[in-house]
Amino acid sequence: MSELIRHPTGMVGAGLLSIIALTVILGPFIAPYDPQAFHPAVRLTGPSAAHWLGTDQFGRDIFSRLLTGASPTILFGVGATALGVLAGSIIGVTAAVAGGWVDSVIMRTLDGLLAVPDLLFTLLIVTILGGGIGEAMLAVAVAFTPGMARIARSSVLSIRTREYILAAIARDESRAYIIVQEVIPNAIGPIIVEATIRVSFAIMIGATLGFLGLGAQPPSTEWGLMVAEARQYMYRSPWVVAVPGIAIAVAALGFNLFGDALRDAFDPRRRRR
Amino acid sequence: MTRQEEPGKRHPVLEVRDYSLAYGTPTGPVEALRNVTLSIRPGRTLGLVGESGSGKTSLAWAVMRYLPANAIERSGRLELLGEDLRAKSLEEIQNLRGRRISMVFQDPGTSLNPVLRLGDQVAEVLVRHRSLTAKEARQEGEAWLARTGISRPSDMMNRYPHEASGGEKQRVVIATAFACNPEMIIFDEPTTALDIITARQILDLFDDLHDETGVTALYISHDLGLVSRIAQDVAVINQGEIVELGSCEHVFARPRSSYARNLVAAVPHPDHRIINTEPDDGDDLLRLDGVNVRYGRGKNVLDFLQPRREMVHGARDVSFGLRAGEILGIVGESGSGKSTIAKALVGLQDFEGSITFGTKSYSGRRRIDRTYRRAVQIVFQHPDASLNPRQTVGKILSRPLKLYGLAPRPEWARRVRELLRSVLLPEDYAKRFPHELSGGEKQRVAIARAFAAEPQLVICDEITSSLDVSVQASVARLLVELQQKTGTACLFITHDLNLVRQLAHRIAVMQNGDLVDLFCSSEARAPDRHPYTTQLLDAVPVPVEPEEAAVTA
Amino acid sequence: MSPAYLLRRLLAVALVLWIVTIAVFAITMILPGNAAIMILGEYATPDQVAALEERLGLNRPAAFQYFEWLFNLLQGDFGMSLRLSLPVSEVVGSAFRNSAMLAATALVTVTVVAVPIGMLAAVKRGTKADLGISLVAYVGTAMPEFVTATLLLVIFAAPGNPLLPAGGFIPPGESVAGFFNHVILPAGALGLILTAHIARQVRSEMSDVLASDYIRAARLKGLRERRVIRGHALPNSLAPAVAVISLDVGYLLGGIIVVEEIFAWPGLGRLLILALENRDLPVIQAITLLLAMVYALSNLLSDIVIAALDPRVRYE
Repeated sequence: MSELIRHPTGMVGAGLLSIIALTVILGPFIAPYDPQAFHPAVRLTGPSAAHWLGTDQFGRDIFSRLLTGASPTILFGVGATALGVLAGSIIGVTAAVAGGWVDSVIMRTLDGLLAVPDLLFTLLIVTILGGGIGEAMLAVAVAFTPGMARIARSSVLSIRTREYILAAIARDESRAYIIVQEVIPNAIGPIIVEATIRVSFAIMIGATLGFLGLGAQPPSTEWGLMVAEARQYMYRSPWVVAVPGIAIAVAALGFNLFGDALRDAFDPRRRRR
Repeated sequence: MTRQEEPGKRHPVLEVRDYSLAYGTPTGPVEALRNVTLSIRPGRTLGLVGESGSGKTSLAWAVMRYLPANAIERSGRLELLGEDLRAKSLEEIQNLRGRRISMVFQDPGTSLNPVLRLGDQVAEVLVRHRSLTAKEARQEGEAWLARTGISRPSDMMNRYPHEASGGEKQRVVIATAFACNPEMIIFDEPTTALDIITARQILDLFDDLHDETGVTALYISHDLGLVSRIAQDVAVINQGEIVELGSCEHVFARPRSSYARNLVAAVPHPDHRIINTEPDDGDDLLRLDGVNVRYGRGKNVLDFLQPRREMVHGARDVSFGLRAGEILGIVGESGSGKSTIAKALVGLQDFEGSITFGTKSYSGRRRIDRTYRRAVQIVFQHPDASLNPRQTVGKILSRPLKLYGLAPRPEWARRVRELLRSVLLPEDYAKRFPHELSGGEKQRVAIARAFAAEPQLVICDEITSSLDVSVQASVARLLVELQQKTGTACLFITHDLNLVRQLAHRIAVMQNGDLVDLFCSSEARAPDRHPYTTQLLDAVPVPVEPEEAAVTA
Repeated sequence: MSPAYLLRRLLAVALVLWIVTIAVFAITMILPGNAAIMILGEYATPDQVAALEERLGLNRPAAFQYFEWLFNLLQGDFGMSLRLSLPVSEVVGSAFRNSAMLAATALVTVTVVAVPIGMLAAVKRGTKADLGISLVAYVGTAMPEFVTATLLLVIFAAPGNPLLPAGGFIPPGESVAGFFNHVILPAGALGLILTAHIARQVRSEMSDVLASDYIRAARLKGLRERRVIRGHALPNSLAPAVAVISLDVGYLLGGIIVVEEIFAWPGLGRLLILALENRDLPVIQAITLLLAMVYALSNLLSDIVIAALDPRVRYE
């Protein structure tokens, strides 16, 4: 862990993630205004002492909306990734451990699913399930599953030929022991790294779905939805779209930087440089 | 430290005086070289010997003026024929590298650019330093390839590195180093990455070219035996300090520093046997009858998309026996099948034929049962890879106790302490994780794990080859001690012929999957040896005999 | 590269596409909202719905419908768009051309910009230039296309004084200048994240190359830095760069959906969103298959290019 913080990438990433986490947890409590309250007198005003980040088309306080919107935006990304990683890991580990035709069938199917762009895949599933934040989260999780399965599989395969696994086989350890005690603890590193980086993609896809009207629904303060709702007014008051847009980028950046630093910490070849 | 004061009018080609170097790290500077002083007179070869991390390669980088950004040169002078190298500009250094000092690297597999033709990689130094045209440079380059003994140089010029063998690639690197007739060449472990016989050929080539050109050489190696054969002078470096400097005969016969004495003593010498027991008489403990191992493709309908792989023989019709308490060495070059036999013997590799252990025969990998697996244990080459990094030493060592039911749970801690003591490690290591141990210590843990199963046979697959010389010797001794104490039989697989002659009762030689020779260690030089055995033995330099060290060994 | 290899790879592409057809068909079969109701409107009587289902063959077993669809597909017949009452091939065909123009413009620009930038950052590793490039690249990879697009619109297409059009499409056949005028913003929105990502990957690949033994060997031969970089490092980092770009084609194909929607670019993405809203199954199926095919073929193409760039890669 100290290795992570020492690196500037890791330091900035960890810093951003702490801010994001605090916003998610404390945001609704420290918001100065009710995020849904209309203030018709101050519609589309710029940043001021009363409204730090200005107000939107209904006079709602953007800063308060941003603080309360962190939770649907970020937790969406984390939740979707966690589900996708879990499902993908189970499939990937199964394929790697089973080998033979089971592995071949799973891998060919994954190849097919991976040929469909993530966003398109997500859109198809969202359309089946119907719009809404829970449905969108499930859709992103499903779209992430094939990629994570592949990473989990290759991670397990690379470990399967390590000498400590060979030693365990030569000792006559049971298959369950080898998988639970030897393979999984060592395979988990690359999976966590990939998952962290993917959270940033999930946040971006979630916001995109919100923007397209297929994710979070009004009156949610999800950041992508905030951009979509304010688009009509963007030329007159650019901050109404810029503030949530930049917030999305900062959140994605935090996970990206932290994931990269994690990767370096796990990969001894890169650690030296 | 000694300073050589030889009479002679001529300037030394390389003179290093009182040179100190450190590397800056986040936790403070780490000293790499301390007050190093040495010189090489024209036409001589100085062997620089040290273990990994001793600073021997740092010295090479310093001379080549190729230091990383965090290097701190604390003091001293580096002179090439009296010219101060440290005072030169980058431009001057670039003009000098490859023309006046050149370098031959450890691994020709990585030091040649994989996407450029070999010919271009030789020719470019000639274009750069001797201002030849591309065509002249190729002709000259081809001539140099011919001088390094490459049989069809014009053909080799057009090949890419992956189309040449390791030995051929190293010849190309050597040709490049000699191409501009430099005053000095630094050889950085040029044979370490090569097979035994290829290494010998490269050494012979070094000797020939050295005689022909009279080039001055700094020969860096971890192998004292090898240096004693090719160098006139030797410097021994330990933790950045030169602890011994002088002519080869002097240093090997009467090493002054305790470090050098230990190092000389650690070099395996075939005449110094480290076993004194004889194997039990009677029936074989283990018998292999016509064991075949084939590597090939797995049959699978959906694999039609994968390219067809050829069937390769890992081992062909191998038969031999091993008695209780016997140490049988298996030697061979990489790809000879020696590790394949190890894998088949511990049930990691499918095989045909039969393995008889005690009274029971096994006719395939799937027939092997737990009784056999407990009785036959393996120690792998890389201790870094053979211990699960997520388990403590205590957990690793207690695993066989639990798995085979050798001791009740309350006894485990005591037994683990015993095991650690038996491999000369402190008892509190049980709480440590493998990455907190040195390479030699990890290998001891791996050995302890094998002996924890109270086996009747331990298979040692190149267990010393990833370790430093002095550590190698202690690990080998430890193994022999344990073997003698427990009466366990041992299959000792290695490519180190001097080592195997020290500790094996009998030696088997493998080549391309075949067992070609099997003999008692004492008869290694008998006239009826297989020609390949003789070739292998001839390829390995036997170290010069130290005068007094022999007794302490 | 042997013909056998090429054949095998084409077979693999066919297998991938076959799996995609199954997945796509399965997904579209379980779409809620009956296609017949979508066509007839909410107030259709059950009799009318049943009659239309009969006519469209929607009441037959799923497996039957799948094989009929696959069979027609193999003959180039993608069916009729339920919404537009036109053959799908016609509707999708023109949209595909428009999307291809946008995607190609974006991809070429990205490649030309990102690869040299990434290499420069690697060569100047640790300097201010490297830090600047890395910083911009990090921020760039964190900007989803819709945010970039919105910000670009605010900056360049404000109604008072628009520097560039806020949307729409002019075929290059009609006016080349008009086409480029309209393509700049959407291509920019698509390209920023890709440029950032590719530049970062190329920097990392090139850094690995520069840290390799053979680069050290080249420097220790006394070669000048320019020759070391151009003659030794560059040829080794091109193949990895191609691999990175080909992987990002998948991302690009997803990105066009959003960008076309925002910039009213009459391509596959816009058509897809319209089709999804209307449950226009044949159009959705055709677009998904088409995008998957483009991605699979671009991967094959990149492997062929890599084999040409790297003598070690020999496909048997």
